[in-house]
Amino acid sequence: MICPHCSYDNLPGSEHCENCLADLTQLDQPVAQDRVERSLMEDTVSQLQPRQAITLRPAATVKQAIEVMLRHDIGAVLIVDDTGKLLGIFSERDLLTKVADPVVDHTARLVSDFMTPQPTTVRLTDTLAFVLHQMDVGGYRHLPVLQDGRLLGMISVRDMLRHMTCLCKTYSK
Amino acid sequence: MAFERENGLEERAVEATLFMAELARNLKTESVSRLHPTPPWRIAPEQSVAEAVALMREQRVGCVLVCQGEDELVGLFTERDLLRRVLAAGLPLSVPVAMCMTRDPVVIHPKDPIGAAVRLMEEGGYRHLPVVDADGRPLGVLSVKRIVHYLAEHFPSTIYNQPPDPNVVPRNPEGA
Repeated sequence: MICPHCSYDNLPGSEHCENCLADLTQLDQPVAQDRVERSLMEDTVSQLQPRQAITLRPAATVKQAIEVMLRHDIGAVLIVDDTGKLLGIFSERDLLTKVADPVVDHTARLVSDFMTPQPTTVRLTDTLAFVLHQMDVGGYRHLPVLQDGRLLGMISVRDMLRHMTCLCKTYSK
Repeated sequence: MAFERENGLEERAVEATLFMAELARNLKTESVSRLHPTPPWRIAPEQSVAEAVALMREQRVGCVLVCQGEDELVGLFTERDLLRRVLAAGLPLSVPVAMCMTRDPVVIHPKDPIGAAVRLMEEGGYRHLPVVDADGRPLGVLSVKRIVHYLAEHFPSTIYNQPPDPNVVPRNPEGA
């Protein structure tokens, strides 16, 4: 890593130039190749305008959860306790893998028996790159958004697609 | 010296404008077949919802194709159908899939650009698009998960270098 100030050849990854003590940290900063990448690196979750979270208490039944999901046309509801603390997420995938049963009708049972406890969350200040990584690695379609530890809303994979294709569209014009 | 550095940054900015439309271009030129859609899991319209659910659980997928015979795609049965048309409607899982599937689903062809698939998914809110050949025979299923992976691998250095927790910074520099 050549120091731009004194041309001294430092070890790669050095934070300061060995010779003139100049700050080298900026040189290793990742550089965005295009506007989409820059948006991923710099924009935060707030850019996606998280929708207000639809929540239920753990004492709600599966039937109620299904009704709420239908009414709001959503694929996942969040389960919170009385203080608003996030306990779990109940999604269509839970319906498929746990609730749907040819013999027993589970719809009268508690939603907390079937929810996915302690879901992965993102903060309002996390970058979109972090969100995309979480969605890719975890295979999540929905991520609850927290602000200062409190539940704020939810973002979905569709919001992410919309944001990225929107950036692509503005180029082609 | 400071001037030199500023100059360098400016060069980078120019570089950035040159590559500006890379994702936009790739979405237009790269085709759906490049994403290797997953094999289509088929079910006959007269089979029961319970059988469809069992197949989806076993294969860990969110949708199965409803096919008449071997090759005629008549519908799609997804998690959303299970929610809306079966559980919410209070139907037993023994009803045939034909009663609660999505008829004539929106399909995509392997030669279509990836961008077209993304647009369909985003506008229609679809998570799965059946990939069919020119005669309408199902070849596979393209899921939104695969699209997310495509977008992530498009920016490997940005996405794959994400820390497990962005708010925690190591106290000491890492490395050998």
